[in-house]
Parts: sequence; structure tokens; C-alpha cells
Amino acid sequence: MEMLKINGVEKQFPAGQLPPTVAELLKQLGIEAATVVAEVDGQIIESKKFARTRLCSGQSIELVRFVAGG
Amino acid sequence: MDKLVIAERQFNSRLLVGTGKFASCEIMADAIEKSGTEIVTVALRRVDIENENDDMLSAIDRKKYLLLPNTSGARDADEAVRLAKLARAATGIEWVKLEVTPDPYYLLPDPVETLKAAEILIKDGFVVLPYINADPILAKKLEDAGAATVMPLGSPIGSNQGLKTRSSLEIIIQQSNVPVVVDAGLGLPSHAAEAMEIGADAVLVNTAIATAAEPTEMAKAFRLAVEAGRLAYESGSAPVSKRASASSPLTGFLRDEND
Repeated sequence: MEMLKINGVEKQFPAGQLPPTVAELLKQLGIEAATVVAEVDGQIIESKKFARTRLCSGQSIELVRFVAGG
Repeated sequence: MDKLVIAERQFNSRLLVGTGKFASCEIMADAIEKSGTEIVTVALRRVDIENENDDMLSAIDRKKYLLLPNTSGARDADEAVRLAKLARAATGIEWVKLEVTPDPYYLLPDPVETLKAAEILIKDGFVVLPYINADPILAKKLEDAGAATVMPLGSPIGSNQGLKTRSSLEIIIQQSNVPVVVDAGLGLPSHAAEAMEIGADAVLVNTAIATAAEPTEMAKAFRLAVEAGRLAYESGSAPVSKRASASSPLTGFLRDEND
């Protein structure tokens, strides 16, 4: 099994089925990429770089977006 | 009325509006429009990956309103800097409302961590609008560090108590060379008008509009109050005295001298 920690929760993937890029991960999760910013192991990734940011097992990923707030 | 100028950018409206706590995106969008605001605040949070929601930003016309991301939820300088950088990556905007509130009960801002975060962010090119307690010394230190405004509180966030810090706000306003935006605790249009009358450059309102029975009408009431307060400030208020001062002539009364 391979694993990504996404927003604090570990998510398992069968060997060889880890999403290869941030863009692929968002697609699998059904998240609209344009509205999201990602952090991979603490490194900020802008949405235009999602397709070329490669993922490997064990990485920690934060997916954040704007919400209503004061 | 004079224009509000923050970091060399001009605004006609002196009312900033927070987008939290509205019952729906539609009501929020309506209230923002009626308020006449040109600056709206937003927060940054984790995406709920189990329960994908619509993007609230689509309800806000980014051409009409400047998005001002806040760092709400940050408990120290490091968390605030991280949130500010994520917000910049998301919007391409370098403006940030800096909030560091480690105390969950009163949500009072941490002055030491706020100043520390402001210094880091300003060095990194951010336009920093720090939320602070009504502390004139801290306000001055932030101004010296290069903050674009200071945003002292009237009373705790969302408390609707009004200007409990009035005398300290007056000192901050008198000493400040950057715009003073009174943020937090303004519960009624009269509170906003009072802040503007004492010379605040702008106010930020969220809860009082969002949780009113009719948010769009309340947004309009705050717009009018902010305009009235500013106009009163620019008009120079009349002096206060202990004794009465007749407004009508003290001659020509309808009575004889000896009556």
C-alpha cells in the first residue's frame, strides 16, 4: 500500500495507484482545482503548477481554499 | 467626502465588510452590494475532502471588490505567516488582514506575535493590515514597522458591544500617520458613526450585518452611518458646554419689561 496524508488524514492507495500529480489527486477527490491552494510537505504549490507537481507515498498534503470570514 | 487611501490605493467607501456568518451566499452578495463597500474579508481553511462544497468566492465579484484575506485561526506569528503566504498564492494579492488570536474565549489579538508576524510579512512584500487591541504604543510600533493601517478593536469580535475602547482609540487616531480602521465589536450603525465622528478613517463590520434579521437593509444602514459619521468629522463638530446656549434670539419676547 501507498499513502498520502491529506489535510491531516492518512489515505491509503493500492500499490501503483497513487495519484501521480496534485492535479490528478484533486480530480480523484472531485475538487475544482482553480479554487484551491496546496501545500506539499510545507511547500506552497499554486494551482497553475498542480499538473507538474509529482507526488510520492508518505507526503503530507494540505488543500485549502477561501471561506466566508470576518 | 475625502477618499480613503490605503497603501496608495483609493477607495470611495470607508466601510469594510466581513463575509462570515451570512445565512447564504446570495444574502451575503446582496448585503455586500447594499453596503457600498469596496473591500471584503475572507478566511482560509482546509478543504473538506469528504464533503465538497461550492466555492463561496464565486458569489463575490472580484472586479468590484478587493478581497482581503485574513489570518484568522492563527495562534502565533508562524501560523499567521503561513496563512498569509497561502492566501497570496491563492489570490495573487499581497494584502492581508493580520489576525493572531490565541485566546478562543475573547479572541483578543496577541500583540507580541502580531508585531513579529507583521515585520516578517512586510519584509516579504505584503501590505499588512493588523488587527490589534486599542493600544496606542503597539499601533505606533506597527506603523513604524511599515503596516499599511492599524485595525484596533472597539470591543471583542462579534460581541456587538460598540466602542468600549473609545479613549484609547482617540489617542491612536490622534497619533497615527496610517489609516485607522476600527474593527470588531461594532454592533449598531450608531457605533460605526461614533467611530467615524472621532476620526477613524474606516470601520470593518461583519457580525452586526450578517446576523441582523434583514442583513441587506442593515448593510445599507451601516453605509449611511459611516457616511454620516465621516461627514460630521470633516465638518468639525460644534463645542460642548455645561450650560445652555439659546438657539433663538434673547430679545423681542412678547412681554413687557416689568412683567
